[in-house]
Parts: sequence; structure tokens; C-alpha cells
Amino acid sequence: MDARTDDCDGLMRRVAGGDRKAFAAIFDLEAGRLLAIANRIVRRRELAEEVVQDAFVTVWRKAAVYDHERGAARAWMTTIVRHRALNLIRDGSRLDFHAADDLTALGDRAADADTAYDALPESEDLKRCLGQLEPERRRSILMAYVVGFSHGEIAATLGAPVGTVKAWIRRGVVSLKECLS
Amino acid sequence: MSREEREMRAGDYVLGLMDDAERQRAERDLIIDPEFRDSVWSFANRMEGLDRSAPATAPGDGLWQRVSAGIAGMEQMTRTEAMQGELAAAGIPVRPSDRHGHLGLRRPMARLFTGARGTALAASILAACGLGYVVGQASVTARDPEVVVVLLGENDVPGALVEAYADDRVRIVPLTDFDVPDGKVLEVWTLYDEAVGPVSLGTMASAREAMLTGPDLPAPQPQQLYEITLEDAPRSSAGRPLGPILVKGLAVSPPR
Repeated sequence: MDARTDDCDGLMRRVAGGDRKAFAAIFDLEAGRLLAIANRIVRRRELAEEVVQDAFVTVWRKAAVYDHERGAARAWMTTIVRHRALNLIRDGSRLDFHAADDLTALGDRAADADTAYDALPESEDLKRCLGQLEPERRRSILMAYVVGFSHGEIAATLGAPVGTVKAWIRRGVVSLKECLS
Repeated sequence: MSREEREMRAGDYVLGLMDDAERQRAERDLIIDPEFRDSVWSFANRMEGLDRSAPATAPGDGLWQRVSAGIAGMEQMTRTEAMQGELAAAGIPVRPSDRHGHLGLRRPMARLFTGARGTALAASILAACGLGYVVGQASVTARDPEVVVVLLGENDVPGALVEAYADDRVRIVPLTDFDVPDGKVLEVWTLYDEAVGPVSLGTMASAREAMLTGPDLPAPQPQQLYEITLEDAPRSSAGRPLGPILVKGLAVSPPR
């Protein structure tokens, strides 16, 4: 847990109390990071901005619900952004994501997941622990987390049944958490 | 719920692999189940390293203005309101927030909620809260409470959830906004033995989730009485409840 995580916790407690300056400070600290996360999932700048805009409104409204846990503020914001972004791409009426059915398009996105893994410093526990997972478990987790693939999309990319992918991920998460703890 | 099941579920939540219904349930548990909460945020914090490789993206000029306009005049939600929302969505009677004498402070309750109605209500609240130990496949761990208690106010409105542990810790989750005037505190009591009388487990300055450590008492039992009263700060001077009873209820064993 770094200093920035602590900063966010402190600011979030003030936001929960209705402090608009603290809210602006959280925006300055986090908006760019959250935009980058959203963009990797929705892959369109204007949609990523919309996701982050909605997320910050939720942060303001619900800060008191989540302000009390150490280290939770930043993870909470990330989670809101990821879930909003996922809702957007999975809402067929909203977007033309038919290209996602295309295996080549899936392959391009899957490559982003590999890139994120490769970019982790060797010294980091997360890199080491992901590295210890069986490759299909690791890739499944990375595709879900980094680019927001559904079970079905991961199954299509890896050529495996959906049920198998679900099991890979769930077993993989347990091993990963054990390694990281 | 076993630790492994909890972690798998936390993983599905953090990775974004839940459908809407599962996600809503997970978000309810994030409010009320501290173990699930720890599991989710610790995993999310660990995965954060993968976010750093996302190509940096500076917010456009208008983004802050739009966020700012979006929250103008918007009411912030309190933790209690969030909790009430979850209970109401599950069909449990929750009185809307009322700033004036919320739980009838001027009229201490005359009767105790016992019998089938109280027990059924407690069961439905526990189920609605999605607590791990309510689920059939629950396994007993050192951190499971000995008893859980839904404390009810007037008209059987749930006012607080209490989990009492064998090591004298008591977790209080307020389910309603208690009005605590200046100079007053909420004091939590239990009656484990009629001959001894009510014993104070501690005080709270406001209606926020709290973990209290009470005096060394026998392990909490089903049917043991718990109640919260409003007392003069810092605590009841008599060592027994003097102020009005806000909520009370009888303990039940969590289904395992």
C-alpha cells in the first residue's frame, strides 16, 4: 500500500463529509489513471470519459458507504470504473461491438492483456505469483481483468468450454491470493 | 461460506465476471460482511499493478466541469441509507428517515419482541443481508459469531444488527439513523443472567458500525437479551440502563 492509497483514504473520508475541495483533489489525483483503465476496456476516448464522469458522480454520492476501510478508497474507485466500462461494452443496444465477435478483434484485445503482464516489473509479487499459475489460468485472469473479457470471450479466445474457463479463473484466483498473502 | 468460496467470489467481483444480480448481492455484502469486504479490497489492491501499463490518458478539459455539474445539488448517501435501501429492496419494513425523534425516544418501548414474529423477522433480515453464515454451506471459523441479534425498535422496525463473539467482542451494525443529541451516547447492554442484571458492553457516540469489546462474560447464548439505550455521556452513571431503550432483541444462533 503506497502513499497515494493512504492519500485517497484520507480524502475519501473528507468527501464523505461533503468536502468539495477534497473531491476535486481526488479527481486531480485519480482521473487520469481511471480514464486509462476505462479506455483499455471501452477502447473509445469519449466513452471512457463518460464512464469516468459517471464514476465520479457515484463516488460523491456513495463516499460514506465505502470510506471506512483502510486501503479501500482507491480500489473502490477502480472497481466502479471497471464495472461501468463493462456495462457499457456488454450493453448491446448501446454500442456496436459486433466486431468483438470476430476472433481477430478478440485476439488484438487479448494481446493487450499479455502486454500488461509483460510490463509488470520482475521484482513485483504480482508478476511472480501470476507467473506461477498455469498459463491458461493466468491468461484467463489477465483477459478478464485487463481488457474486461467475459467468460464467453475468454473461452472463444482460448478455444475452451465456458465452464472450464470459469473453473480456471476461480482456482487461479485462490492460488494467486495464496501466493500474494 | 468457506474462505475459498469467499475468495473465488471476491475474485469474480474484482475481475468483473458477475451478472447484474450477483454483482448487486456482492455490493450488498460489501456493506455488511467485513470478511468479504477485506477479501475484495485486498485482491483489488493487489491487481492494481496491472493498471499501470494502461496508456496514460489526460482528462479532457470539460470532464471536471461535467462531473462538477453532475454533483451540484446532489444529496450524498449515508451508510445507513445504503443499508436501508438493501433491506427495503428485500421487502423488509424500514421506516423512512425522520430527523425528529426517530425511534420514538420519548416513548420507551414497553414490550419485548419475542416469539415467532421476532425470530422470523430476524431470519429474513439475516438472509437479506446475505451474511456468509446464513448460507447453507457455511463453515465454522474462529471469526464466526456465537450469536446474532436483530435489534428491533417500535413497530418491529429493525434498528441494528449485533454479532456477539465468544471472545467478548460485539459488532454493531446500525440499520437506522439513531438521533444522538449532544451530551448523549448510545450504550449497548446484554442480560446474560437475570440475577446479575444488564451489563454494559460499551458505548458509541453515533450510529456507525462499531466493534466493541465488552467485559469478560460467559459465551453469548441464544435467547440472550441485547439492547441499546440512550444515556448521558460518557456512559450511564448507574452502571445499568437509565435512559430510553431504542432497540432490543433476543439472540439466535447463526444457521451453520
